Amino acid sequence: MIDFSLIIGGEAGFGIMTTGAVFSKICSRMGYSLFDYVEYPSLIRGGHNAYKVHVGDTEVHDEKATVDFLVCLNEDTFTKHKSKLSPESVIVFDANEFSIEESYEKVSVPFKQILSESKGQTVMKNTIALGAILATLGTDLVLLNKMIEEQFAKKGGEIIEFNKRFAELGFNHVVQNHSDKIKKILKPLSTETTLVISGNEAFSLGAVIADCRVYVAYPMTPSSTVLTTLAAWQEKNGMIVRHAEDEISVINTAIGSSFAGVRSAVGTSGGGFALMAESVSFAGVTETPMVIFIAQRPGPATGMPTWTEQGDLLFSVHSGHGEFPKIVMAAGDIEEMITLTTEAFDLADIYQLPVIMLSDMLLSESHKTITKKFIDDHILKYRVDRGKIVNRPSEQPYLRYRLTADGISEKLTPGLKGFFYQANSYEHSENGHTIEDAQSRIEQVEKRDRKLKKYLSTNFQSPKIYGNLETAKVVLVSWGTNKGCILHAQKKLQEKNIDTAYMHFTHLYPLSEERIRPLFLQNKRYVLVENNFTAQFGKLLRQETGVDIKEKILRFDGRPITAEEIVKKI
Amino acid sequence: MSQIKDFSGYAPTWCPGCGDHGIGIAIKSAFVQLGFEPSDVAVVFGIGCSGNMNDVLNAYSIHSLHGRSIPNAIGIKLANHNIPVVVIAGDGDCFGEGGNHFLHACRGNHDITVIVHDNGVYGLTTGQGAPTAQKGYKSKSAPGGTLDLPLNPLTLAISGGATFVAQSFAGDVNHMINMIELAVQHKGFSLVNIMQPCVTFNKINTYQYYLKHVYKLDKEYRCDEIGPAMQKALEMNFEKFPLGIIYKTERASYTDQLPQIKEKTLTNKDRFTDYDILLKDFI
Repeated sequence: MIDFSLIIGGEAGFGIMTTGAVFSKICSRMGYSLFDYVEYPSLIRGGHNAYKVHVGDTEVHDEKATVDFLVCLNEDTFTKHKSKLSPESVIVFDANEFSIEESYEKVSVPFKQILSESKGQTVMKNTIALGAILATLGTDLVLLNKMIEEQFAKKGGEIIEFNKRFAELGFNHVVQNHSDKIKKILKPLSTETTLVISGNEAFSLGAVIADCRVYVAYPMTPSSTVLTTLAAWQEKNGMIVRHAEDEISVINTAIGSSFAGVRSAVGTSGGGFALMAESVSFAGVTETPMVIFIAQRPGPATGMPTWTEQGDLLFSVHSGHGEFPKIVMAAGDIEEMITLTTEAFDLADIYQLPVIMLSDMLLSESHKTITKKFIDDHILKYRVDRGKIVNRPSEQPYLRYRLTADGISEKLTPGLKGFFYQANSYEHSENGHTIEDAQSRIEQVEKRDRKLKKYLSTNFQSPKIYGNLETAKVVLVSWGTNKGCILHAQKKLQEKNIDTAYMHFTHLYPLSEERIRPLFLQNKRYVLVENNFTAQFGKLLRQETGVDIKEKILRFDGRPITAEEIVKKI
Repeated sequence: MSQIKDFSGYAPTWCPGCGDHGIGIAIKSAFVQLGFEPSDVAVVFGIGCSGNMNDVLNAYSIHSLHGRSIPNAIGIKLANHNIPVVVIAGDGDCFGEGGNHFLHACRGNHDITVIVHDNGVYGLTTGQGAPTAQKGYKSKSAPGGTLDLPLNPLTLAISGGATFVAQSFAGDVNHMINMIELAVQHKGFSLVNIMQPCVTFNKINTYQYYLKHVYKLDKEYRCDEIGPAMQKALEMNFEKFPLGIIYKTERASYTDQLPQIKEKTLTNKDRFTDYDILLKDFI
């Protein structure tokens, strides 16, 4: 079984992330499953960056607790990650820059010397390191060379050869001087096409598949790469991507475009979403479809911008003043991010309300392998469902907020001759005009609420169960990205003969009491796992269903929960 | 050919003598003269007495949040750039709560027309001073008189990049009709700032006051040069209110610069399905 972890670390601003991405793609092209995670401070130069990857020949979902290969582009990398090393760990470093006393499998590569002899720029240290690590892993340079050719295709043969040379120098140095340290573990596996994709890229892809035509955002870590990914694609796929002046403008631009008839989405993190809150309520009362993507990071206020947390669940659920329906969902991994995103756009249209898609830094910025077949199959299966959004009303007079049994009224796309209506932020009558009379108010409040009742009976999904709920002694309950470490923990617990089940919630709000309560009736140990301090989903579950989970595993230091800590606490 | 009554919804709730009555008539008349039917135009109303035109004026419309009508209008234009989009807002709405949006809409030269009811007060909340109130203006929120200088909508728009900046007066319906028509026809961001008395709460800036302080630009005034236009707009700081087109220039509008919608509006485009050209970056 192949299962190893590797860290490449160095000073921020010197291409660590790019180097990591290249390594991930090489493993993916060879047929391995991987999960990578980046640690970086909220600055551009001077801090420490680390790219961490977990590679396996069976599916991997999260970070590995120990480090098998450590590539040090500076001394900091060694000191920061030392605690996770074992005597068998392989360290790639430059003995001319710093020395290592302890006993490890040391592979010294003279980065500086190679750079100065061959007149390379500082960033090419990464290329040397990549060559060296590929040699250490017992593979060749074929894929790396191919990626260098792709990356520098526009710059011409000379640049390509120059870069290839540094990879080769690193590679050859290991082969010639450290042949005893070479582990023959990275050999090609399947030929199935796989992609290496981050959560934000998965959301972007989901939005395109769902035929989203307007995306508006203001940059905010860790959501910004949705904006940059979609902006880079817009001339290919025809979407309009607007980087507006602030988050209030962001959501109101999308309300305008959604009113005018096209699928529209916005993306931000907690702070930006706080600015949008009034307009979430506006989308609610005007019954304007809207997908709101939130990549959570630790707050409050500016918090820890480049770290991870699930601290905005209850804020999302309760966002916006007044009482109006909304739907909140969260993906647990890349695959779910694609399928749930396409579903979110349908739900927003069908129920004509804001749908919030929660992610977090861990999911948004980590990469994982996904088979192309999974994406292709989903594209084939997916049908855009716009519900009662119409180009011609079925009844006359046309009433935008007509009282219906399921609470959903036809939303006419503006432009049809002979018709007009208003989307009104004031409470309104069926025809959209402002009202203040008690009867119309009651009718409209109840009408909007009926949409959620319909949702609960039609589109709400109960949690996915991993393991056997009947035989399990321990039932882990969680949502979002914790899925990765929990699935990993379940494997480890199984090895210790502890039978567990995992209840993974994706449809977080509203919750169906009638479908959730029966899942918690057995006399078992239920353990809530959340990446926040106040057990927000636990509170929500109690509020919506009366289920109260007493035992909790919570982490709120900005780092993801690990399989090891779950195993330890179970 | 439409008539004014086609655009008329419910009876207005404005105070007798309010400038909004005249502005409402002027907007409808301009739409009729432009040959619009109610279904041909999108209107976004702000919140305030001006925004309460929502039930009075028939169109495909949004009655927005306070301050947010401009981004709503930009969104409509992105989705369907063939439909004329008009914003109807007050001075507090547009220059106070929504000031940031106003600035950036000018920069982007978004092809929308913003009609501001500039009466110096927040009428709907019983008369607190608005950003355009003169320094020293006494109101319930500043009983000793406001300490801030009045905001100058015209210099703000011109320096911000607006390509059509006009001013009119609620007491001159024909002038308003003319300005609104030209503004809606203009390709790019257009502002029509309308000086307007609030007969109930503003006892200083009355019809008589405005009649004394407004004047029409003479025929020789050239509105196509930014320097003289700024000079002219600066007269506002000395309570001299020029009426007419203060500044007009040509610059590609935001939607004109989007290759995505060169052929068809976003609402009418076919769905994109060539996913493989996006996926190849991830392999």
